[in-house]
Amino acid sequence: MSKPHVIVIGAGFTGVATAHDLALRGCDVTVVERGDLCNGTSGRTHGLLHSGGRYAVKDKESAVECIDENMILRKIVPQVIEPNGGLFVALDESDLAYAEQFIESCEECHIPLEELKPDQALKLEPNINPKVLIAFLIPDGTFDPLRLALAFAGTAKHNGAKFHTFTEVGSLLTDGAGNVTGIKVSNRASGKSEEMRADVVVNATGAWAGHITAMAGLDAPVKPTPGIMVAYNQRFVQRALNRLNAPGDGDIVLPQRRMVVVGTTSFDAEDVDYIPTTDDQIKLMLERGSELIPGIRSAKPRGIFMAARPLVGGGSGRSMARTFKCYDHKETHNVDGLVTITGGKATTLRAMAEKTADVVCAKLNITTPCATKETPLLSYRQYYATTN
Amino acid sequence: MTENWKITLRVYRQKENQTSHFDDFQMDVNPDEYVLDAVERAWAFHDRTICFRHACHHSTCGACGMRVNGVEKLTCITLIRDVTRNGATLKVEPLRNFPVVSDLAVDMGVFYRKMEAVGARAVLPVTEAEIEDPPSKWDAEDSQYIRLSDCIECGLCMSACPIMATTPEYLGPAPLAAAQDQGLRRKPELLSVVDCEDGVWRCHSAFECTAVCPSFVEPARRIMNLRVQVVDMRLRKLFGKA
Amino acid sequence: MDQTRNQPSAGKFWSWFIPVGRQVGGWAFALNRVTAIGLTFYLFLHLAVLSLLAKGPDGYNGFLALTENPIIKFGEWAVVAAVFLHGLNGIRIILTSFGVGVTRQKQLFYGFTVVAVLIILIFTIRMY
Repeated sequence: MSKPHVIVIGAGFTGVATAHDLALRGCDVTVVERGDLCNGTSGRTHGLLHSGGRYAVKDKESAVECIDENMILRKIVPQVIEPNGGLFVALDESDLAYAEQFIESCEECHIPLEELKPDQALKLEPNINPKVLIAFLIPDGTFDPLRLALAFAGTAKHNGAKFHTFTEVGSLLTDGAGNVTGIKVSNRASGKSEEMRADVVVNATGAWAGHITAMAGLDAPVKPTPGIMVAYNQRFVQRALNRLNAPGDGDIVLPQRRMVVVGTTSFDAEDVDYIPTTDDQIKLMLERGSELIPGIRSAKPRGIFMAARPLVGGGSGRSMARTFKCYDHKETHNVDGLVTITGGKATTLRAMAEKTADVVCAKLNITTPCATKETPLLSYRQYYATTN
Repeated sequence: MTENWKITLRVYRQKENQTSHFDDFQMDVNPDEYVLDAVERAWAFHDRTICFRHACHHSTCGACGMRVNGVEKLTCITLIRDVTRNGATLKVEPLRNFPVVSDLAVDMGVFYRKMEAVGARAVLPVTEAEIEDPPSKWDAEDSQYIRLSDCIECGLCMSACPIMATTPEYLGPAPLAAAQDQGLRRKPELLSVVDCEDGVWRCHSAFECTAVCPSFVEPARRIMNLRVQVVDMRLRKLFGKA
Repeated sequence: MDQTRNQPSAGKFWSWFIPVGRQVGGWAFALNRVTAIGLTFYLFLHLAVLSLLAKGPDGYNGFLALTENPIIKFGEWAVVAAVFLHGLNGIRIILTSFGVGVTRQKQLFYGFTVVAVLIILIFTIRMY
């Protein structure tokens, strides 16, 4: 009996993690990506392995997802993680006022935290603002964006998944009843077109989910929400550094190799194929970043870029939940053969894939349970080192 | 006030079964943006068939390496103002010594296999990262911190190395640096991998690798140090200490 | 994907001498290769000439006539220049191979080249 064929559109975090899960459950997986891995939102993620502290107060669902997945990723893919924890620091009275609800919420979401006095915090991280009033140690971390995806993709490839990069979906193949039966793609490298048939097509294009669903005459409730990041040329801290306040702009600074990266902002955008950076947002990152780490004022920017988050659900900007949603379009629009997964955070990529694979496998009558929680990933280099 | 320059972006084009050529794109650019931004804009607004690789946009993934006006650069951190002038041309080509997949994207499979062959470390304790002039002396506590390795496997060194151009079997600067980074005394199994004709002895001191490395690896210094380590291991074997 | 294009191959040694994309260390590398080829060629020439001498007085006189040829005179100068450039740069390579001065290899190159040029200048003045 031949394996069911699943096509995954998009090789960002969601696409590669889904390919990995489905491959483990016995599917024949083909991933198509119009660029190369992570060339969209996923590559440009800040790189914060969330402990969930940021969302504990206002978005408990996301916070719990984060802490659970944080622990899993530390186990299955340590090769791409700087697991040095994180600090939430209060610099003024308004930050201090946030502390009580922060502590309560973290405990509610089973996020382990430890309270530190200013001198303790400064001993751990001498370069943070000496005016720190109180700090909390939580199990944040930093990860390498591309290599996290490569680890999933490489393992999936090793287990038989096929990857077609520079391959763009031009249209969906449908049967007479409007159900999706495959995709029509053109390869940017060869200029050739091809039709690929599948039992299920997974739309894992994140902020571009609407482009694919439009091809089936549907829309996806995803709101591309870009934000800026500025990387500076000195590794001022060993841990993730968060401002102790309600999520706002420029309140996270992460170490990444010999840099620190300050992020981010949040605004709406229609076309996210290219988002230019703006001087006022760069300035804002400098201001907010140097509140946390005064040394940033005398550092040089090394890279400045924009990335578009895929946010789902109602509301806008910072009030939107950071959770993810998986839509089986048979249920939403009576269009079979197409599943859309969007929203979410990098930290929850494995959980997003599990949920998506559950939906896909239910449609294909596959009962093999998800194995991704316990399966350590292969070296990220396997993606390039194995031939397709 | 953002400046506005008019430049010609000259992009190397290579599609399957076709001869290569250059396409010129007349573009308005902000010189304080990066070369990668110009390439991305050419793709977004001028020609959607351009193939190029990019992910993190801040020198941690190593995907966006290209030759800019002939010199290997990581395009996400290369300012336009540093490589061209208003009214001039900005040429971008793929890296040397790797087969071209299409346009600016190359296939670095061989390189990654070499990195695997030396067991290159992806993460290591911060105290082992060999930062010259560290901002503060490490203390015992600092070795608990893990950080990602300096080498981002961008392949710029492999492209710039003249020996790499003529010797496919040569391990190359980054793999040799990754072997040095681990230390032969700690990993004696690496000795046979690097102490061979196409290993550490194939380097002929052109130092192009260090000149183009965007990530502070200094492969040339590490290769020379690796030679010292190899001689040290051989001597130890000779005198029965290994 | 075309597997054959853009791959490393021995035939690409000409790329060592193309200036585009090369920096000081790459220039030194190319210079050493060029002078090495030149000196090797000189070595064979030298042996060929010596075999002339082995043929006796006529051979020797024939050889002396050659030395007046301006091309040969230039060649002799070039050999001396090559010896000093190659030799001093070679000392730089020996030093860096033992880990000495690797981070200052550019300055070493400039320094040794200046010395070589001085020596060549002195030789030129004295010889001609």
